[in-house]
Amino acid sequence: MIIRNREKIHSPDTIKQHFESLGYICSDAIATSVYLACHLQKPILVEGPPGVGKTELAKKTSELLAAPLIRMQCYEGLDEAKALYEWKYGKQLLYTQLLKDQLGDVMRGAKGLDESVSRLHQFGDIFYSDEFLEPRPLLEALKSEDGAILLIDEIDKADQEFEAFLLELLSDYQISIPELGTVKAKSKPLVFLTSNNTRELGDALKRRCLHLYIPFPTKEIEQKIITAQVPELNENLKLQLVEFVSELREMALKKVPAVSETIDWARALLLLNVESLDQEWVKNTLNLLLKFQDDIEAVEPELHDLLKAALKGDKSA
Amino acid sequence: MQKVLGDFIHALRQAGLPISSAETLDALNAAQLVGIDNAHLLKESLAATLAKRLEHRVIYDQVFELYFNHQGNFRFAEKEDVLSVTKASEAEGGATETEETTSDLLETMESPLAQQLMSDDTSALQMMIAEAAGAAGAQDISFSTQISMMAFKVMQALGDNQLQLELAAMEERDEQRALVQLLRQRRSSLQQAVRDYVEQQHLLFNQNVSQQLRQSNLQRVNLTSIDHRNYKLMGELVRKAAKQLASLHSRRRRVTKRGLLDVRRTIAANAAYDGFLFHTKWKSTRVERSKVMVLCDVSGSVSEVARFLMLFLYSLQDVLPRVRSFVFSSRMAEVTELFEKQEMEIALAEILSKWANMRTDYGKALEDFNEMALSDIDQRTTVIMLGDARNNNEDGNVSIWEEVYRRSQRVIWLNPEGEFSWNRADSIMEKYAPFCSHVETCNSLRDLNRILGSVLKHSN
Repeated sequence: MIIRNREKIHSPDTIKQHFESLGYICSDAIATSVYLACHLQKPILVEGPPGVGKTELAKKTSELLAAPLIRMQCYEGLDEAKALYEWKYGKQLLYTQLLKDQLGDVMRGAKGLDESVSRLHQFGDIFYSDEFLEPRPLLEALKSEDGAILLIDEIDKADQEFEAFLLELLSDYQISIPELGTVKAKSKPLVFLTSNNTRELGDALKRRCLHLYIPFPTKEIEQKIITAQVPELNENLKLQLVEFVSELREMALKKVPAVSETIDWARALLLLNVESLDQEWVKNTLNLLLKFQDDIEAVEPELHDLLKAALKGDKSA
Repeated sequence: MQKVLGDFIHALRQAGLPISSAETLDALNAAQLVGIDNAHLLKESLAATLAKRLEHRVIYDQVFELYFNHQGNFRFAEKEDVLSVTKASEAEGGATETEETTSDLLETMESPLAQQLMSDDTSALQMMIAEAAGAAGAQDISFSTQISMMAFKVMQALGDNQLQLELAAMEERDEQRALVQLLRQRRSSLQQAVRDYVEQQHLLFNQNVSQQLRQSNLQRVNLTSIDHRNYKLMGELVRKAAKQLASLHSRRRRVTKRGLLDVRRTIAANAAYDGFLFHTKWKSTRVERSKVMVLCDVSGSVSEVARFLMLFLYSLQDVLPRVRSFVFSSRMAEVTELFEKQEMEIALAEILSKWANMRTDYGKALEDFNEMALSDIDQRTTVIMLGDARNNNEDGNVSIWEEVYRRSQRVIWLNPEGEFSWNRADSIMEKYAPFCSHVETCNSLRDLNRILGSVLKHSN
């Protein structure tokens, strides 16, 4: 792809700094992967628990490189017609109706069936040309002149067949359309695939991608993230909050709170003008962090201890 | 650099990471791009191209540490010893120009190893060790017991023999004692370094070979003779095999998802196109997954096979979600729920302690089965019986088994004993056999894999 801001991806460290200025705090591994993907022109497969910023990474990269982001959400039953291209059937029909008379003119004077057919052939496949092609995300990404960021979100939700279909795109940046032939990328897009690991992805797919696993952030990084996202929050509360969430992640819950939930919670606490974590406030806002009733019920009796640990950890830090 | 990375990738493969040659090229490209000065950056870059799974990442980190951090850390740690030795010799001989004498003496020595040892050029020595070890085949030893032998071979290749001879000769003469002592010290630290190096090579390249050997043996070995310490490994193998089967058969199921054309919805959806049917709508068919009922004899030796059969069946949950299981020795009981609630291992232990070790009675067990589940058997049910049909000369209640056969889609009887011992002594296999679609010997993981594969094939 044509990279407009080449100086911004000069090294992993500069990428990291630029991400930070965009409000996306990342680890070395993330910066390195983006750096490699840009320079080796390979897709990145991003895995990790939900809510750690996998999709956000693609968005911020698009911002960083000033390239358009084309997003494709995967789901079960997704097929070529929705991912790659579709013919505009309605338009085709309408045109055939309108051109009926024209066709009559063309055919007039033709002797015999053979001649009529050969005259028809002269018009070629008008109805299967670019005019009638409805590009879907994948084709759009290939056709984009200056390259684009293609985000294939939650690839694990799509069927295995679709995964196999992607292989040609990922390794050669081209795709075969039966009626048109092979479409090559005008300028190679930078591809992000994300996965929540609901199913094991095929080895063939993994082989073609760089692999990046984003775990829950460390406490330091999470504090930085909160600072970047909710700058108004006071320092003391931020420390307590991060400490508390990391305590929660240690517990055996159905769904542990992710970074996005921490941010939501921080915003809520800010809105409520909370100065310091206390049991009452936490209890009332717990539903922002935990999304299952079972989890909330499991945590509530432990609240006292958790808070104590969080406050202590904050002081030692 | 290619050689270093190539060896590193080889080591990763030995540790169980499936790295393709395409990925090797990617790794080389990445390494070229980021350079090798920044170790942290190099580690992350190689990880992105080589370790594609979380569990692989853990192994990768270990191998990376082992491979890159142990290279070239060989030093003579006894600088002070050298001094003290020199001082001692000074005191002893009263000579003032010890340094000179040492170097003079050194020149008289012919062994290249001795020269090398005294030269203080440790990195050159490290190179020599690596070379000699490579020539002696240190990468190929597969058991840790071979390490000493290999270390000895490497020492030989380095010219240890000559050194030893010369040292012995020199010891005769008094004035060279200090030098001899020093050389001996250095030789022993060299020996240690060689040993460390060989050990590291073994860890890197061959630690898993014996493991792999063990795994392939376990595939074939008789299930009744697997001892307790191998259960865990066996469990993993079973899960692996089950996963393979499941992915093989889950695809085929999807093809049949699309059913008949839904005429009403198709016409409605295409009204806009002047009645041309462009968008077809299909009635989705409900996928009928075959039901499986498994009856396990858990008495005596059969219980061991039963353990693995159940483990296998429940690992197939993706493609066989409706397995009902029954166990019996004299009375039969349904244990489906138990498996749902408990961990596999715990449930199995509970079953074996509760129902095993009783007198086998197929007649009574089948009677119980008649009451519990016979009415649930239909044309889509596969019944798997695991047992040796040794009935202690009691009545086998064959009529119930006949009824099971009549109602079900298929009946598979797995007998852990070899065919030659069927119908001997109290085995009444021949009475049940006419009412089975298949009777098979089943006593290894391979058999299980093959038989369950055929069950899945039919269920699709």
